[in-house]
Amino acid sequence: MTTAGTETVLAPPRAKTAALSATVRRKQGFQHGGWFVAPFLALFVLFVVWPLVRGVYLSFTDANIAGDSANFVGLDNYREALQDPQMWDALGHSAYFTLLVVPCITVLAFLLAMLAHHIEHAKWLWRLCFFAPFLLPSTVAGNLWQWLFNPGTGMINHVFGLETPWLTDKSYAMFAIVITTLWWTVGFSFLLYLAALQGIPAHLYEAAKLDGANAWHRMIHITMPMLRNITGLVIALQILASLQVFDQAVVMMDFSPGPEESTRTFVQFTLEEGFTSYRVGYASAISIIFFVIIASVALARMWLLRNREEGGR
Amino acid sequence: MGRPDLNRRQLLGGIGGLAVAGSFGFAALGTGADALASGADARVRYWNLFSGGDGANMIAMLDAFRKENPGIDVKDSTFQWGNPFYSKLAMAAAGNRAPDLGVMHLGRITGFSPGRLLDPWDVDLLAKYGVREADFNPDLWKRAVIDGKLYALPLDIHVQLCFYRKDVLKKAGLLGDDGRIVPVTSTGEWFDVLKEAKKATKKGLQTIGFWINDQNFQWWFFVAFYTQLGGTWFNAANSEVTFDTDKAVQVLEFLRQHVTDGYANPGMGSVGAEQFMNGAPFAWEGNWSVPVFSGAKLDYGATPLPPVFGKQATHAESHAFVLPHQSDRGGATNEAAHQLAAYVVQHAQQWAAGGHIPAYTPTLSTAAYKELNPQSEYVSAMDHQATEPKVWFAGSTGILAQRIGPIVVSSTMGSAKPEAVARRMKGALTQLLGMKNPMDGRTAAQGGAVA
Amino acid sequence: MSTAAQIRVKPRRPWTPSQIVLTLLGVAVSVVFLAPLVWALFTSLKSETEAVEVPPHWLPKEWTAQAWSAIFETGNITNWFVNSLVVSVCVTTVVLTVSALAGYGFARTEFRGKNVLLGVVMAGLMISPAVLGVPLFTTVQQMGMVDTYWGMILPQCAPAAMVYILYKFFQGIPRELEEAAFIDGAGRWRVFFTIVVPLARPSLAAVGIFTFIASWNNFLWPYMVTNNPDLMTMPNGIATVMNSYGIQWAQLMAGGLMAGLPLIIVFVFFQRQIVAGVAHTGLAGQ
Repeated sequence: MTTAGTETVLAPPRAKTAALSATVRRKQGFQHGGWFVAPFLALFVLFVVWPLVRGVYLSFTDANIAGDSANFVGLDNYREALQDPQMWDALGHSAYFTLLVVPCITVLAFLLAMLAHHIEHAKWLWRLCFFAPFLLPSTVAGNLWQWLFNPGTGMINHVFGLETPWLTDKSYAMFAIVITTLWWTVGFSFLLYLAALQGIPAHLYEAAKLDGANAWHRMIHITMPMLRNITGLVIALQILASLQVFDQAVVMMDFSPGPEESTRTFVQFTLEEGFTSYRVGYASAISIIFFVIIASVALARMWLLRNREEGGR
Repeated sequence: MGRPDLNRRQLLGGIGGLAVAGSFGFAALGTGADALASGADARVRYWNLFSGGDGANMIAMLDAFRKENPGIDVKDSTFQWGNPFYSKLAMAAAGNRAPDLGVMHLGRITGFSPGRLLDPWDVDLLAKYGVREADFNPDLWKRAVIDGKLYALPLDIHVQLCFYRKDVLKKAGLLGDDGRIVPVTSTGEWFDVLKEAKKATKKGLQTIGFWINDQNFQWWFFVAFYTQLGGTWFNAANSEVTFDTDKAVQVLEFLRQHVTDGYANPGMGSVGAEQFMNGAPFAWEGNWSVPVFSGAKLDYGATPLPPVFGKQATHAESHAFVLPHQSDRGGATNEAAHQLAAYVVQHAQQWAAGGHIPAYTPTLSTAAYKELNPQSEYVSAMDHQATEPKVWFAGSTGILAQRIGPIVVSSTMGSAKPEAVARRMKGALTQLLGMKNPMDGRTAAQGGAVA
Repeated sequence: MSTAAQIRVKPRRPWTPSQIVLTLLGVAVSVVFLAPLVWALFTSLKSETEAVEVPPHWLPKEWTAQAWSAIFETGNITNWFVNSLVVSVCVTTVVLTVSALAGYGFARTEFRGKNVLLGVVMAGLMISPAVLGVPLFTTVQQMGMVDTYWGMILPQCAPAAMVYILYKFFQGIPRELEEAAFIDGAGRWRVFFTIVVPLARPSLAAVGIFTFIASWNNFLWPYMVTNNPDLMTMPNGIATVMNSYGIQWAQLMAGGLMAGLPLIIVFVFFQRQIVAGVAHTGLAGQ
């Protein structure tokens, strides 16, 4: 590796002005790029497009896990799904989780980044400490916190002198998962904020200092506005990731839906219907509903971004 | 940047290239390191769900088998108990990557699509290795036969038990002359016993651990006591729900009272066994806790769940060996799978140490078995089995338990009133009865994969 | 490279009062973040009975490596480690190759339907195994790839996000560089490999690092598609097989550290690259 950071801006040597006689050759160079795209496209069609098409097809059938010939059942699966209290519960749990996690993680990541950015000694150490949990596999993080939350032998209750039944009472179970998730994933958003902070030109602050702005003013008038885009990005990524929560929740609850089914997430519900109840058709219908929800969130963000850009101009 | 740097880069590049090439080569071989290393004539892949003491006993039996049959390599894998295991087994069978031998709960066989996800046993081959129908409880064997073919080879019967600490109960004056707990025949008597026991209990411990927030245990206890009351689930044709909400309310109130009267602590729902080992007088647990408590050298006994509603009945299930579906089943590996299962079933003495009642009846009459304690105290439980209804959605951690278990928990935990919970249970049963078995598209009444 | 790093002399920073406060705060927060990991390490060095003693205590009274030797004796852990490595290396290699080619193809070449295709690929950003797991499983089942390495690897190899990142990067390279080469008579592939790829090295490193981390830690898809414990990856094996031993927490923690430590150690050494890689891939979503 030569220059390590990707933030390096490449400054290529000025190209010679192309000779007129070479125009044809030059144009040819950029033609017929299909071959470049082909390998990716093949994988993409096989493992992204085709499953989507297949999912739509299966959602209109009563297919089972063994892949037997399935019967066409029309909209029955969708009708059943929309009337299935379990589906709404599961959707509610994922939404509730998202509602709890997203604001916490955004604020926490910002504060951690500010802290790490402003401490001038041993910068690598803070980055390491705050980011390290993110490098653990989700299941390891889940197991670790299941152990920490354990009644009796767990460290959390011991250290804080509590007797909270974190994982066995429905009023605490979701919070336990949220706490685990914060610890485990805040590092990612933290890095994004840190990179954005480092990207703010120093001369802005120097100019403000000359104008007599104190630290608080500099944060309100320079840092915060400069971080607006990144905050939007962090929130959007977190919403999409949180709605798809699965790993740590099932691991902490030993693959059960939690106390009184209070932590069954949407993804878990889909997999249970497909792989535990063997109802692949029904599970596909639920998946498609989920896809529509996720796509709406993503499209809403694009729409917001475009609106803001237009408003800004 | 000088020469050394270039060399280092070449070296790194070389190592990286080797890693990539090696990885792709390994992936192309596709069997995993362990299978590559195995040089035996037959390699039996065997999946089970036995953890803790059961796991240790199973491994001991497998080791004994390995010693006697060095030509057979047994690769055993233990999975997370319950649905993760059943999902994995079904997905492997559906994807035609099933193991050679597996273990299931007998109640799940009907819903596991015999013939599609399971292959039948070769009875002649089993007989060759010494296992015959005559050596089993006829009812048990019948549950394993579907469409005239044997789909499961029963290993044991396991039941829910009431464990009690003799040292604590003695202090409370609750032990009879035979050194066993005084008989209990009504709910009133039972709560009197708990009251006395509570007085003799150390501070900081609950009186009874009974998995308040566990949907499986609560469901099993419900099945036991509901059966004691003579309650039924469906009519004979499986076309109507005969669930009795009044009886259900009685059971639910009984379970709830343990919490409201302060005998069971909701915060200790999942650590009942640890509490018991620390000196809590009672724990309702599966018989698989026997080796745990015996290993801790406790002075304890175990009876079937108390007949508080007048009649003996305790929840029971069975572990059984199955052959997950393989399109090319046969040959030396298949025979080795038969041999292994037959061996374990016949050498179940070790298994009985794990608290289970062996299904292979010759074991029961051996002197060694009769000496086991507390096994001999509860062996009668096999005559008073409370089981789930025989429908495709039943069986250990099956759809029935998944749907109804949490409803029972909501009553025991006090988040819902027993009357409302009983009505919800009936509603869920009605819904399940109308549901089609995804494997064959038939409802329970239409005989969806029911033997 | 190393010389360059040494030459950069760090200016001395004064220990002002605000710096002391901030540093103390940083230490406190770091302790909170690292405590669970330290707890896992200490637990793994206790005996199983000491691990579940009530009340819990931090340091083992008797230090023992029994949990560590036990996980190596049962053998599964080493299998899973190899499997994780194989899967992650293959995924990273394939992803780097196909997304570099595709990113370049979309950024620099013309072909019929390019814009439509690009739109479709961008729509693919919304699809993941979490969203469409069940249909994806049946697809892979149809191909006969359940419980195979390829079944685990290939579905992880079509990340629209990585194509998008490299597409953005290639768009930023001045066209003149390639044009000059074309005029000199170089073929398209030669230009790609000798001019474009070297320029893109930092971006490729970012994509590669991010892909490796994601693949090493991926649980959901391997969980769905592998049932055979011989073929499981670390996160999957620990959650579905190892977890089932019951309350053997010391072993579970040792196994967890085995799965988590390699990346953390790598992180210590390649911190700059990884931070840049993660930030770069994340920021590309802007």
